[in-house]
Amino acid sequence: MSAIDDAGRRLRARRRRRDYLLFAAFAAPNFLFLLLFAYWPVVYNGYLSLTDWDMISPAKDFVGLGNYTDLLTDPDFRATLWTTVVFVVGIVAGGIVLGLATALLLNQKLRGRNVVRTLTFAPYVLSGAAVGTLWLFVFDPNYGLIRPLMAPLGLTAPAMMTDSKWALTGLIVVYLWKNAGFVAVVYLAGLQGLPREVYEAAALDGAGPWTRLRRITLPLLSPVTFFLLVTCTISTFQAFDVLAVMTGGGPGTSTSILSWFIYDQGFRAFDAGRAAAGAMIMFAVLLLITAGQARYLERKVHYQ
Amino acid sequence: MSQSLPSRRRFLALAAGAPTAAALLSACGTTTGPVDQPGGSVPDRYAGRTRTVLWSTFADVPGRALQDLADKFNREQRDIYVEVQFQGTYDECAQKAVVGLLAGQAPDLCVLSDVKWYRFYFGDALEPWDDYIDPGELRATYNARLLGEGRVKGHHWWLPLARSTPLFYFNRTLFEKAGVPDRAPETWGEMYGWAKEITRLKTQGKPVAMEAYQKIDGDWQFQCTAWQWGGAYSNGLDVTIDHEAAVAAGEWQRKLVHKDRIAYMSTDPAGDMGNQLIATLITSTGGLKKISEMAKAGGWELGTGFLPRHKEFGVTTGGGGLGMFKRVPKERKQAAAEFVRFLARPENAAQWTVQTGYMPVVPAATKSPALAKLLTEDPNFSTAVKQLPHTRKGDQVRMMVPNANVQIYTGLQKIWTGNTPAHQAFSDVATRLRKGVDRHRQSIEEHL
Repeated sequence: MSAIDDAGRRLRARRRRRDYLLFAAFAAPNFLFLLLFAYWPVVYNGYLSLTDWDMISPAKDFVGLGNYTDLLTDPDFRATLWTTVVFVVGIVAGGIVLGLATALLLNQKLRGRNVVRTLTFAPYVLSGAAVGTLWLFVFDPNYGLIRPLMAPLGLTAPAMMTDSKWALTGLIVVYLWKNAGFVAVVYLAGLQGLPREVYEAAALDGAGPWTRLRRITLPLLSPVTFFLLVTCTISTFQAFDVLAVMTGGGPGTSTSILSWFIYDQGFRAFDAGRAAAGAMIMFAVLLLITAGQARYLERKVHYQ
Repeated sequence: MSQSLPSRRRFLALAAGAPTAAALLSACGTTTGPVDQPGGSVPDRYAGRTRTVLWSTFADVPGRALQDLADKFNREQRDIYVEVQFQGTYDECAQKAVVGLLAGQAPDLCVLSDVKWYRFYFGDALEPWDDYIDPGELRATYNARLLGEGRVKGHHWWLPLARSTPLFYFNRTLFEKAGVPDRAPETWGEMYGWAKEITRLKTQGKPVAMEAYQKIDGDWQFQCTAWQWGGAYSNGLDVTIDHEAAVAAGEWQRKLVHKDRIAYMSTDPAGDMGNQLIATLITSTGGLKKISEMAKAGGWELGTGFLPRHKEFGVTTGGGGLGMFKRVPKERKQAAAEFVRFLARPENAAQWTVQTGYMPVVPAATKSPALAKLLTEDPNFSTAVKQLPHTRKGDQVRMMVPNANVQIYTGLQKIWTGNTPAHQAFSDVATRLRKGVDRHRQSIEEHL
């Protein structure tokens, strides 16, 4: 009896070992890539944030949490965080509203809507550098499209990219133009999956278009909105390309957001420690925001 | 005895823990040991030669001029092939060099700005030229003032190439239309008086502005303004940008922009000059060829002159020079030095100046027929040469404290575009610069 038990145990152990090996064989390649390109840089970045290093000399001096205390007591860094908040809220909130409005429009049976859908999405797939260069021309107060647009109103075109009062607004407009198409397409997919019978019932009950939007469409789209909020917040925090081409964080520090600050410290000041500390702070902020969104907003999401 | 297998949780913990420990024990990138050469291709006709890679910051007119010289060098001898690789602005080229060195791949020659080369020198990444070109030969070849700017502790670390000074450019056609004298103003007061007439003129329906300030790197030109007002960014390593004189210079420009509305900040002031949106501009001598061509194309006459004075005269030097990295193998350094010798031959240095407008860094070049003719026939080209003896090396803090130039021009942008009072903008900049000095003082003093 015990010999049979022993043989059974050995067989089960062998099976488990084989299962683990199979699991490891399937998971290992992806896991290795994740380790190498996702987790390793984060860990190494965390280590760099505790050092003072110019990226040229061999010596990396350990400074503990010095870079963090330095950053968090720096008024310019706090201003950068505030600019980042305005930038992210402007683009995420604006993008959601604009994207939803566009999606509602494109969901109507209009002539040529497929062409319009494609055109709406097109800016999203353009490279940031191309978009930045294009909008620099548009915003040029001397030769840009903005000048003839303002002239009939008797207004002088503002120097959007070289005036610190306008630069952040200009940048938000450009990112909205670039990203709203993505939001619209995702919302459109959500809209097309909504059950028709709910709308028919509401219409029978005498609900008008505004009530249907507020009471049916928006609640039913809440999973899509939640997804968009999380992904757009993360991607907007990481925005860099258009900003680098159009303003370079300026004029002054008027468009210096966290991602630009990290680049500036790392690749212009060659201060790896401060740049890495800034990146870790961004990582922590994103983690907190995403966790907060998951905890508080997801409660309001209706998954039907 | 049954064999115990790790639980799934333990397996994941081990997998996550191993790289963490490894990361803390090792470092990404290397800062020691020889470096490889950046990739590229050697044409078949030059196969078998020692390849030399030069990372350049020159596009457009100077880019073509440097390529012409490299082609000439490649044709003239049989041992070395020089490949010029354009890497963007001074900032971008330095960034790529830093990352390249970390990745174990670096060019044999690199164009570094008057500000950036110090970062590599303080990081002990540069090789002195003296082991490859005799110091006596260097002294006999180059302009002593410009050569001296790259000499520290008796060694030459940075050789002059595209050296420049800020120059006063003016649109003679607009000056004539405005009825003001056909010359550069001697003082800022005089310029201000003329501006009243000049800014009555219109281009494309808009009043012509007196001048435009360069958004990026405008701290270089403003350094001269600060000097003209009797101030400076620093005195040695003592930061003085928030002192009265420099603040007064900042207030002067703030007044021109926000009260008089006859100046503004521009991303492309040379382009604005070309399009006659501004009547005057202070920018590098390196822009001379390009602005001359724009003037010709736009049908207006270009004039140049010394910078206007205020309390005193002040003009600095700038531009780019050549550095060689310590970790490049010796035979590649020797080949690179041969090309540098070639560039410094009077006829080649003259060709470079004629084609670009950069200062003749080799005095003998001014006697070469092509440059001598140009200096005689085109007074604009001779202005920079005449102004050179009056130049001063830049303020120490701007050049040696990392990112000081960016801090300063960011402060200037706040004055130009945000109407921030100069004392406030410069006080913020000074706080940052002093912090930078405190942090890097030891390293700077050890290396000087």
